[in-house]
Amino acid sequence: MIYRVRHRTTYDYEDEVSVSHHVVRLTPRNLPVQRCWESYVAILPTPPVTSSHFDYFGNTLTSFTMQEPHDCLIVEANSNLEVTAVAPPDFSGSPPWETVQESLAGSPSDDILNALQFVFDSQRVRSNAELAGYARESFPGGRPLLAAVLDLTRRIHQDFRFDKKATEVATPVQTFFEKRRGVCQDFAHLQIACLRSLGLPARYVSGYLRTMPPPGRPRLVGADASHAWCSAWCPVTGWVDFDPTNNCVPSDGHITVAWGRDYSDVSPIYGLLLGGARHKLHVEVDVMPLA
Amino acid sequence: MSISPDTLDAPLLAAGYSHTDGVYDEMSAAPGVLRPHWDALIGSMSALGADELVRRWKIARQRIRENGVTYNVYGDPLGMDRPWNLDSIPLLIPPSEWDSLEAGLIQRARLLNHILADLYGPQQLLRGGLLPPALVFANPGFWRACHGMPTAVHPYLHLLAVDLARSPDGQWWVLADRTQAPSGAGYALENRTVLAETFPDLFREFQVQRLASFFRSFRDHLLNLSPTRHDNPRVVLLTPGPFNETYFEHSYLARYLGFTLVQGADLTVRDSRVFLQTLDGLKPVDVILRRVDDSFCDPIELRSDSFLGVAGLVEAVRAGNVVVANALGSGLIESPAFMPFLPHLCQQLLGERLKLPSVATWWCGQPNPLQYVLDNLDFLVVKPAFPAQGSTPGMEPVFGGKLRGDERSRLIARLRERPCDFAGQELVNLSTVPVWSQNTLTPRRVVLRVFLAASQDSWIAMPGGLARVSPALDTPVVSMQRGGGSKDTWVLSNLPVEAVTLQRPRGQPLELNRGEGTDLPSRAADHIFWLGRYAERGEHLARVLRCILIRLTGEFGAFGTSEWDSLMKLYDCLASPHSRLSEEDPQGHLDQWRDLEQEILSLIFEEQRSDSLNAVLSRAARAVAQVRASLSSDMLRVASQFGAAHTSAWGYASTGEALAVLNRCIGTLAALRGIEMENITRGAGWHFLGAGRRIERSIQLVGLFRAIIVPLSPRTWPTLEMLLEVADSGMTYRSRYFTELQAAPVLDLLMNEEANPRSLAFQIHDLLEHCRSLSGRPAGAAWPVSKQAHLEEAAANLFRADVRELCEPGESGLRKSLDQLLAATGAALPALSDAITNVYFSHAEMERAT
Repeated sequence: MIYRVRHRTTYDYEDEVSVSHHVVRLTPRNLPVQRCWESYVAILPTPPVTSSHFDYFGNTLTSFTMQEPHDCLIVEANSNLEVTAVAPPDFSGSPPWETVQESLAGSPSDDILNALQFVFDSQRVRSNAELAGYARESFPGGRPLLAAVLDLTRRIHQDFRFDKKATEVATPVQTFFEKRRGVCQDFAHLQIACLRSLGLPARYVSGYLRTMPPPGRPRLVGADASHAWCSAWCPVTGWVDFDPTNNCVPSDGHITVAWGRDYSDVSPIYGLLLGGARHKLHVEVDVMPLA
Repeated sequence: MSISPDTLDAPLLAAGYSHTDGVYDEMSAAPGVLRPHWDALIGSMSALGADELVRRWKIARQRIRENGVTYNVYGDPLGMDRPWNLDSIPLLIPPSEWDSLEAGLIQRARLLNHILADLYGPQQLLRGGLLPPALVFANPGFWRACHGMPTAVHPYLHLLAVDLARSPDGQWWVLADRTQAPSGAGYALENRTVLAETFPDLFREFQVQRLASFFRSFRDHLLNLSPTRHDNPRVVLLTPGPFNETYFEHSYLARYLGFTLVQGADLTVRDSRVFLQTLDGLKPVDVILRRVDDSFCDPIELRSDSFLGVAGLVEAVRAGNVVVANALGSGLIESPAFMPFLPHLCQQLLGERLKLPSVATWWCGQPNPLQYVLDNLDFLVVKPAFPAQGSTPGMEPVFGGKLRGDERSRLIARLRERPCDFAGQELVNLSTVPVWSQNTLTPRRVVLRVFLAASQDSWIAMPGGLARVSPALDTPVVSMQRGGGSKDTWVLSNLPVEAVTLQRPRGQPLELNRGEGTDLPSRAADHIFWLGRYAERGEHLARVLRCILIRLTGEFGAFGTSEWDSLMKLYDCLASPHSRLSEEDPQGHLDQWRDLEQEILSLIFEEQRSDSLNAVLSRAARAVAQVRASLSSDMLRVASQFGAAHTSAWGYASTGEALAVLNRCIGTLAALRGIEMENITRGAGWHFLGAGRRIERSIQLVGLFRAIIVPLSPRTWPTLEMLLEVADSGMTYRSRYFTELQAAPVLDLLMNEEANPRSLAFQIHDLLEHCRSLSGRPAGAAWPVSKQAHLEEAAANLFRADVRELCEPGESGLRKSLDQLLAATGAALPALSDAITNVYFSHAEMERAT
């Protein structure tokens, strides 16, 4: 699929903001199955300096500082890219999940080191015995890893409700687990926490969904906004994405922007304002399939 | 070998010093046998005699108090500003022992720096299996945003501290590495200063290695780090602020090294460069010596809940525009979990044997060490392996052997559940050192903190250190937070010691810099302004209270209704919102008299009462604390007297004592004013101080006039006399008008007479001078011109009016036109003050946008 993606964030400040600092992660990654032809971040008013670099996880991080008083800020990312559809992996042919866990203790190859980045507690995701207990139902002894993760994806989708009003950006996983309602960020964090509680590597992926579904298919939850899902590591296949909010395995309908240990590693846009202004925030995401 | 103590001829002071079996004592090799380097010291001290020691130490402690050396203890009733606890006997280290320690320390600095450079760079140590990945990836101290920084040319560790302990066999062991933002070097220097001044004779006699060259080298190193401008780099010391436990040290070091002390809010990042917000605008910053933990240094890329840092700092470092020392991320290697790997890493990375061993440590993140810790729990101390994450407080070290049944099983469960998070460490039977207590020497446990600073391609060790002693012989933990004491450490030399100062090397001509190098942060200006206001308010209050209190005692004791009324009128000028006097008229004179006396005592001493003298001076002291580093040591010594009205038992104070306190306060405040007038450069800071004073005194004078002169009363002279006394103008008045007291001449002298430094006209005139000076400065663009104009107009109207006419009795028993003119001026003053504060104190909170 070829897409044009437009992600526009508008801040309306009640009072003038004199100085503000921002970091954004809005440039889609280049992957074997995803080719980003073009991407640029436009900022209005134009800041004097904008700089970009790859962060620790290889995401493009753009930072800029607004140095003149302003009462409105627009950050718009436009990207053209192509995502290749891939056949789903062989779920039942993947190695038993326990051997995956054990393989991490082996000699630290680049692959293993990469996986180990995502197996420990991070700022927003802390593993615990309760979550391990919940996850264990999908992980009976000897079950192939990917089959087990697929089952966990299905159960999370079934046990938890999508509800935009139930949680906020900072809601901890444990609260979501108890209230059973939340948004894609919470679904992804929960699945990551479950996998890590079993000693399995899992990472947080942020990106987009195509806005209009193919004919005859339902519109997916989370379109028209940033989306997030989970990725599990398999020593044979590498990283495999799972979308617990939609109970699906992402293919060419999911566009990957960034990944990290949890939301705080990849938040699309983050800033600090000097001036103590309250603001109204408006986000628009347009994912247009071109061909 | 057995020696009977009484046959020995140990120096006087060491007689009866108890020797604990199985413990290394720094001073005595065996009961009654002193080690050679101690023998001479104790001999010389004994020669001075106990009385002389006591006398000298009393002066030394006075000095510590006056210098404001404090260590803030969290959750302590003494809390802020607990005086520094220093022992008079130094810890001695002989030359040969120091040489090997020094070599081990420098090697350790190289090793730790090497490890950091790898982990924040290529991570070969993980790939090669030399360090377990979990040690780094599970560690919240590993900041991914700091990975891949352009630090290749600089070390990660510019200053590090190592805590050393000596085991019974005499071997030194490393207890902990302090790589984050090590504290203590400044306290060590202050300890040295005090000891060298107290025992100049001993200090010369023992060829003690000086500390100054270490600090000079460190300062030069920091100046040379400047990434852009080599001729005149600006280095700042970043502190979390006065509530930090070691804030004294931050301000002390900043002044000693000649760097500007700043808080996060004083710095700003523009165009990926760091600037200091000063009264003269933004000034570029080249090097930041930080005392803020790395995680708090940038709310954008590090901990987002931090208010102590500088938004955008990481990006500025990444852009190569500023150097932060220690490098952001350096706290990683403080983790005790690294210790077991150091011997092997040293061999692999440096090709050398690790010279200075760490205390035996087991990181539980690996199966065998975990099992060892579980099996030997009784003999180990269990520590968190990693720094605390987020807002959850870290675990305190736990002594396995001291745990009761359920505590023990809970710890074992935690160890099994999250093994990565813990490390077990062998308990060291710490050596003992003599401390001088109750006129005798008694042994205490000791831990020595030593310091290393980067210097060119290597590190140099400070020849000395901060020795910390336990509060009691049987306390196994040595910590300033737990009430321990400290000692100076004397590294002895075989060679004559050269004196060093911190002056610049000779021969380099300095560029002449007239005017002022004002690096005064804008935030500091606000504190200085308020210091002026509080100091003046304190003086006014002290004078009014003294005026009343004197009349309640002695000769004035018995008086008639009119005197009483005047007294109450003066009291009413204070307009205390917390007055303890009952509204109703009390029955008899005696009760009135007692009630007013109690009320005055409360107004002097009661700390909880926000308008008491005690509270006002506390606020002045807090303002001083905020700007310590910009004030001279003489000024700080005077300010240390602000606590004169501190007493826990004010209810029992006699009026005599209270009067003495008031006189002392007035004297202290006058001394402060004297330093202001004679010893401070007329820079922006001085103008802010002056403006604050003038505004406050004007407000007080206007209040007095409105309360005392505006209302007509038949017998005004007692009140007028008090007014002259409070305004310190009685002498001038009497020299002109003798004893005849009338409203018009009093008002003329106190309001209009510009030659009288206590008059309102003088205050306003001087205030406007300060305003002109401040608004003309580069940062004066935002000066509240209109508020200043309001005041000028109101004041002009007041002074233009004829004093005699103003004092003519009007209707309804009031001098109405005087009142109106005073009210207009009285309103313009606080308005100007608020506006100045708004312009210079941009404590606009940072707000988050997600």
